[in-house]
Amino acid sequence: MLKRPVWNVAGIALALVLAANAPAGSAGLGAKDEPIKLPMLEWTGQHVSTHIAGQLLQKLGYKVEYVTAGIFPQFSGLADGTISASVEVWLNNTGDIYPKALAAKQIEDIGSLDLATREGWIYPKFMEQVCPGLPDWTALNKPECVQALSTPETAPNGRFLDYPSEWGSRSATILADNNMPYTAVPSGSEGALVAELEAAEAAKTPLLMMFWGPHYALAENDVGWVRMPPCKEQTSEHCITPPDVNKVVWSGFGAKWPAAYILLKEFKVNAQEQQKMMLAIDKKGQDLDAVVKEWVDGHESIWQPWIDAAKK
Amino acid sequence: MTAVSGTQRLPQSVAVDAGFTAWAALIVLTLVCIVLQDSLPWVVTFPTAWQVPIAAAINVMSDGVVPVIQPLFRSISALLDVPMRGMQACLSWLPWPATMAIVVVLSLKSGGYRLALFSVIALGYMIIAGYWPQSMNTLGLVLLAVPIAVGLGFALGLLGYRFPRFRPGLLAFLDLMQTVPAFAYLIPLLLLFGFGPVVGLIASAIYATPPMVRNTMLGLDRVPSDITEAGLMSGCTRRQQFWHVEVPTALPQILVGFNQSTMAALSMVIVAAIIGGFEDIGWEVLSSMRKAEFGQSILSGLVIALLAILIDRLTLGFAKERPNGPTPIMAWMSWRRLAAIVVIALVAAAAQRFFLPDAWALPSTTLREQIGIVNVALTSVVRDYAGFFNGARNVVLYSLLLPLRLGIVGAATPALWGFAVTPPMIAVYVALWLAIAGLAMKAYGWQLAVATCMAGLLLFQGFAGFPWPALVLGIGLLAFRLAGIGLACFAMLGFGFILVSGLSAPLSQSMYLTLLAVILCLILGGSLGVWAAHSERVSKILRPICDGLQTVPQFVFLIPALMFFKVGEFTALIAIMLYAIVPPIRYVEHGLRNVRADVVEAVRQMGATPSQVLMHAKFPLALPVIMLGINQTIMAALSMLAIAALVGTRDLGQQVYIALGKADAGLGIVAGLSIAFLAILADRLTQAGARQAGSIESHWKS
Repeated sequence: MLKRPVWNVAGIALALVLAANAPAGSAGLGAKDEPIKLPMLEWTGQHVSTHIAGQLLQKLGYKVEYVTAGIFPQFSGLADGTISASVEVWLNNTGDIYPKALAAKQIEDIGSLDLATREGWIYPKFMEQVCPGLPDWTALNKPECVQALSTPETAPNGRFLDYPSEWGSRSATILADNNMPYTAVPSGSEGALVAELEAAEAAKTPLLMMFWGPHYALAENDVGWVRMPPCKEQTSEHCITPPDVNKVVWSGFGAKWPAAYILLKEFKVNAQEQQKMMLAIDKKGQDLDAVVKEWVDGHESIWQPWIDAAKK
Repeated sequence: MTAVSGTQRLPQSVAVDAGFTAWAALIVLTLVCIVLQDSLPWVVTFPTAWQVPIAAAINVMSDGVVPVIQPLFRSISALLDVPMRGMQACLSWLPWPATMAIVVVLSLKSGGYRLALFSVIALGYMIIAGYWPQSMNTLGLVLLAVPIAVGLGFALGLLGYRFPRFRPGLLAFLDLMQTVPAFAYLIPLLLLFGFGPVVGLIASAIYATPPMVRNTMLGLDRVPSDITEAGLMSGCTRRQQFWHVEVPTALPQILVGFNQSTMAALSMVIVAAIIGGFEDIGWEVLSSMRKAEFGQSILSGLVIALLAILIDRLTLGFAKERPNGPTPIMAWMSWRRLAAIVVIALVAAAAQRFFLPDAWALPSTTLREQIGIVNVALTSVVRDYAGFFNGARNVVLYSLLLPLRLGIVGAATPALWGFAVTPPMIAVYVALWLAIAGLAMKAYGWQLAVATCMAGLLLFQGFAGFPWPALVLGIGLLAFRLAGIGLACFAMLGFGFILVSGLSAPLSQSMYLTLLAVILCLILGGSLGVWAAHSERVSKILRPICDGLQTVPQFVFLIPALMFFKVGEFTALIAIMLYAIVPPIRYVEHGLRNVRADVVEAVRQMGATPSQVLMHAKFPLALPVIMLGINQTIMAALSMLAIAALVGTRDLGQQVYIALGKADAGLGIVAGLSIAFLAILADRLTQAGARQAGSIESHWKS
């Protein structure tokens, strides 16, 4: 407790010294000797986005530190500045901490990552023989299709594999809205969803589940997306829309690292490019940092404008 | 744990009558509830109007309290952050040959050549698998959590020893620390201490403290009075008396506590990784679980298992004297020589880092990619045997899981069993169970008959549809009969808490999953234990399997279970059983192997067949040990609820997990306390049962 003011004074003094010594051109960099901490969450796509952002920040002259973090715990870190910025936040899955921290102005949403996302019901491609008429949703209501998807736990209904309980379940509502004879079974974890998809693909057992993209599992399994029934209401409970993916920073970020703030505001990631890198890392076993470096070296035209904007 | 005196027994005839009347009344009540369930639906579904928003109240309270006390905790966190980072920086700075040399000399000192060889293999594996930096981060966490836990544990143990007044409260607190799933308090810890590896450190320290407290108290309690008196006679001051007489005498037990603390700290590594903050081996296991990569998860899970075994043997070697004295190499490795070698290793390490910074880099390996073969193999097993796995799952689901959950009334529908229940069928069912109860009464007395009747009612109605007043009163009555009025009140208050919190559905789901897992584990594990007790070869094969199941993180087994059996109760059951099957195997084998040989021999001389020897001599004699095994099985099954949530259950563990996901501290605490309550209640009930079994046994012996 007592230490804090001392540290603050020291920090201000340090900042003053740095500001006095900094060459004129990089006055906007701010505290460039303090590392910007970026969280590494639980999926490879996010690792790719984070490392692109990290390497670009390094090009600007910053120090970057990667810390592993849980998807919900990261907001606790962002709220007090232990984590500086998270560049790929899926707004459909943020838990209760995120809105609270946003309302308390502890974190700041700095706009979209422009990642083309997709969310909805998927099925392994061979299901089109089992349920003729797919990808249209009405095909799922045919008795032979329900029968194929039925399991002891859901009988007489078909089984719909839903997101883990803690992610919330819109699918159950939508199934009920359209009187579809399916029971939504919560899956417990992302690993469970992937395991089921791979097992269904291997054994050719029928499966219908909720999923999202870009996801590396989609790159290696041939899936179809169900054409969804019309929404009963245009709300997030009754309707599945492609989730927004935004960039979120600690509220003190802009003041501390002004140039980095501008760079991250400009920062975008293309979903196809991301998926390609994911595959190289997850399936070909290449090194994350090397894969990202290769992409960064080859796509200067994309990121140079962001760097230029940040340097102004 | 707490001892309720069960030695005094009421006069037999009076007790039987009172008990019988009470149980008969309960059966009548249950029947009335079942008959009236259509007109009084609240007897089955706990009315929402009676629920109290306890979780929301906790959240409101914590929203008010956390900002006030947060600075204090944040400064603790900042204080711990320094040694944590220092330790990790130090371990990652140390070149691997130096680390290995230090561990090897410690192993030589603790356990001789064999342990040293094992430590070389274990550390070598971490390098080859490419997990060295992560392993060192994990080791850093353990090396820091253990001193905290040991220091705190010793102080609390001392408190309990010196001031017996505090002991009941202290013991209750320890029970909570060990039974509340760590998932439940991660969010409160996160709110208080802030994001970072320190949260993982604190969670580990919390879980690792109780064994140290318990062993410290046990050790000090057991100091023989003649030793204490000898100290007093030689004129010790109170302080000398304690540090030079009592502590040295209690040291072996205290060191056992140290060993258990270390293991407990290590077992929390994965839970700590859920928060994240630094890249450790737990994070690797979790990541591979999320990608459903079985091969990689085995690879990283094995690191944890090897670390656990290595740390266990190392600390045990220091804690316990070898029966035939130290081996020559252990004797040669004096503390002075050990210190000299460590210093040489450190100097060499510093020299290398300074002069040859590029030497001794970690070899790059591709094992992690090559292990992908295992994933391919798993997929091909899934492809080729899908029918078999499906069939196995469906048989168990139709015949065991569904009837137990939904009851005969729920399962006997055209959709599930192909027919509906009719009144004549109910009549046949009732007659059947009454007949079984009658037989049970004739053979073993009214207690078993009552149990049979209750089982029949439960099976008819199912766990999900069993009237809650009957359930609460039934368990209260059982607690009263086994342990007295105190435990009965505890049981009813606990259930009341869960019901008014609105968790009655997850509660019944948890009880049903746990009960089924425990029964199946006791049958399967018990049989394996019997087999192992009679065959050296089986025992030799089972031992490493049991070690593996207990030390490899459970997350690893979830992946194949999911691929074979899909998301659902059956997979959850398998996951729970894989962990909870170890205690019955171990305890039954241990109990049967250690019965008095002369008694067994006498029974055999009387002409008993081997099965008669087993049933009538060995089992009754081994009963106390087996009861302890049952206790441990229930504890293990309950501790798995939070992990089984990852395969999509609907029980209390899932509530804990939902709370973690939504960062809902209140729900986490309520659901966590509910699981802790079930564990503590089950523990007290089985202990009381064991005492009664013990007194029956001593009665039988005399």
